[in-house]
Amino acid sequence: MTEAGRIALIIALAVAAFSIITSIVGVRTESARLVKAARNGILVIFGLYTLALAIILYAFFTRDYALTIVAEHASNDLPSLYTLSALYADKAGSMFFWGWLISLFAALLVLQAGSNERRTVSYAVGILAVIEAFYIALVTFKVNIFEVYPSSPADGFGLNPLLQNFGMLIHPPLLYIGFAGFALAFAMVIAAFITRDAGAVWNNLMRRWTVFAWCVLGIGNLVGMWWSYNELGWGGYWAWDPVENAGLMPWLLGTAFLHSIAVWGRRDFMNVWSFCLVVFTFVFTLLSPFITHGGIESPLHGFYGSPFPPFILGAMIIVIIASMVLLYLRRSDLTKAGKHTSLLSRENAFLLTDIILVVLVCVILIGTVLPRVVEALGGAKIAIDRSFFDRTCGPIMLLLVFIMGVCPLFGWGKSVWKHAGRNIIFYILALIVVSVAIILTRIGNWYIAVVVLCGLPLFVIFREWWRGTAARRKSTGKNCVSAFFAVINANRARYGGMLAHIGIVIITLGIIASSFYNVEKTATLEIGESMSAGKYTLSYNELVFKQDSVRISAVADMQVSVDGKPLAVMRPSYAYWFSHDDIFAEVAVRTTAAEDLFVSLVWTDFDPADKAATFRVLVNPLVVWIWTGGAFFLVGGALAITWREKQPAGVEE
Amino acid sequence: MKKRLLIGGGIILIAVIYLLYLSFGSSVSYYVTVSEFYDRIDELLDSNVRLAGNVADGSIEWDAGEVELAFNLTEGGRDMPVVYHGAQPSGFKAGSTILVEGKYGSDGIFQASQLILKCPSKYESIDIE
Repeated sequence: MTEAGRIALIIALAVAAFSIITSIVGVRTESARLVKAARNGILVIFGLYTLALAIILYAFFTRDYALTIVAEHASNDLPSLYTLSALYADKAGSMFFWGWLISLFAALLVLQAGSNERRTVSYAVGILAVIEAFYIALVTFKVNIFEVYPSSPADGFGLNPLLQNFGMLIHPPLLYIGFAGFALAFAMVIAAFITRDAGAVWNNLMRRWTVFAWCVLGIGNLVGMWWSYNELGWGGYWAWDPVENAGLMPWLLGTAFLHSIAVWGRRDFMNVWSFCLVVFTFVFTLLSPFITHGGIESPLHGFYGSPFPPFILGAMIIVIIASMVLLYLRRSDLTKAGKHTSLLSRENAFLLTDIILVVLVCVILIGTVLPRVVEALGGAKIAIDRSFFDRTCGPIMLLLVFIMGVCPLFGWGKSVWKHAGRNIIFYILALIVVSVAIILTRIGNWYIAVVVLCGLPLFVIFREWWRGTAARRKSTGKNCVSAFFAVINANRARYGGMLAHIGIVIITLGIIASSFYNVEKTATLEIGESMSAGKYTLSYNELVFKQDSVRISAVADMQVSVDGKPLAVMRPSYAYWFSHDDIFAEVAVRTTAAEDLFVSLVWTDFDPADKAATFRVLVNPLVVWIWTGGAFFLVGGALAITWREKQPAGVEE
Repeated sequence: MKKRLLIGGGIILIAVIYLLYLSFGSSVSYYVTVSEFYDRIDELLDSNVRLAGNVADGSIEWDAGEVELAFNLTEGGRDMPVVYHGAQPSGFKAGSTILVEGKYGSDGIFQASQLILKCPSKYESIDIE
């Protein structure tokens, strides 16, 4: 049966070739039949790809160890819940799953577009077929995902315990969904540039897929951070590791692209910024597997022994060259943005935001690839510490938060003085006063200024909300609550954006607080001894040993109290896994809105006679705010996605 | 109009380049193996270094009271004594491939500020039963 899976993929590849040819020929010869055939081809590819996916998943769930991929990542003792993660724990499996998502979204796009905008959608279909063919070829020919062992093992190697966690079940799919969504946006923009003709349907679809991709990719990155924090035991959520950066950079570029398309109306879609941003967002979604599959060395995580990086690099180069050629060919059709706007207009503020985002991505890129580049050029082998990123990216991100606050003050085309209220100028003055006071008096530290800085976007957003609601109430006579929701309903994209901005501010505050105000203590305790961290006292009461077929674990009983009053019992554990001949700790975290109490059991001897154990305790303020910010992305994104083209961008209530 | 925007962008770029310049000094360390370090010891004596090697068998000493980990990092036939003031990271055991970030002390012991374990390979050979 697994042979059928491989055959399905090979046929899908042939159909992709068919779709590429018929879509292009169909548009050029104006043959509706060929165009329709190309679009049907996309649906057929999805069907075949799904069949292959079903076959592989069936093999995983029935633990068919004849298949190499199943034997390498699943095992008899793997809980059923994590069977799916075993698929994308594999280097080929992850590319396979991602390619399937692209085929799914391409099929959805074809169905959504219906018979509208045949020419543009046809080219998009052709481009998507090329992308899909690339993914299929990688997992069919370069590595055979259906590879079979000559003899079937009795048990598989199993999944690394660090991956047996809910976060790791959903983190890769969320990222791939985001990446696949941006592949769609890319294909659509390229297609629009080829035809120089894009209507309302194209505009709606392209914007909605972009918002969707941005939202899911953002949440996917946050889930990855959550996994790192809860599962890896070091108490942090971001290390500027190359693989982490690989997921962040496309999201930042996607953010820039999202803002650039918010600026222009449908008729101005052919502008150079949006084109370049979507191209590079897509290229960076390819850079991500390049890095993760070993293109850049990452000590923390990634795939080993993957043969994909050279092909992915080749694909990236081809995409860049082809896109630039297209841009050059269409140079006379480009709109000149910002012609009639004053210096301090919203269009320019958005442009400034995009410039800063691009600069930020460049900085991260430099830090990520520099060691490899230096080494390749024959220089010394170097390593870049995370402090590089903290010191350069931190200030740039804070600048973005500031602009986020100031941006809504600018009018479209108008200058800021006419539009901004006096209270906002006062707020900025207050910020400057606070900063100067902190520097001069040395009371407090600059983090307070940062908190004030974060307040600016919030203040501006709530003011806009207030004004909008008040205006609506006045014109329609509704009460406060109805007016509030009515204003949101009429400007969904705008308020969706505002919600996302609130999310960013909340995340920023969470990161600042947990990075600079955290407390860390490590101590070895005997039973009965206590340690303190922050306001908490932790008493080590007992150590319980448990054993099952998979591991032997030591679970510590820690009584947490504040000012003598008992608060909770926390049970961090330390386990030795037989199959992996390795030790994995499970941290215990107590989360409140104000801070996290994070307890990790980092060493014990598994000796019933000597239960001494070493504990690492962290008190991390406002960590839950980081995850909550993600919820704002979700709601804001969901709101913005329901936007329809009835109102042109930038119209205010 | 475009010119003013380019100037604005230019200022940002210069500020960022300045930030980069500031951070590079302390954030960049030489990435060498243990034997390479000894070969270049005069040059690397006072630098931030990231050492690559394996944890030598039988060399792990864990002082639970002081929370101090001592072990030998071995590579290319050379051994480097390392001291780290913290708990052993997950996956730390004899034979693990590890990166040690820190500075070489005048007493011949490498003071580690950070231990980075290389993730265990997911593609070890499977015993076919």
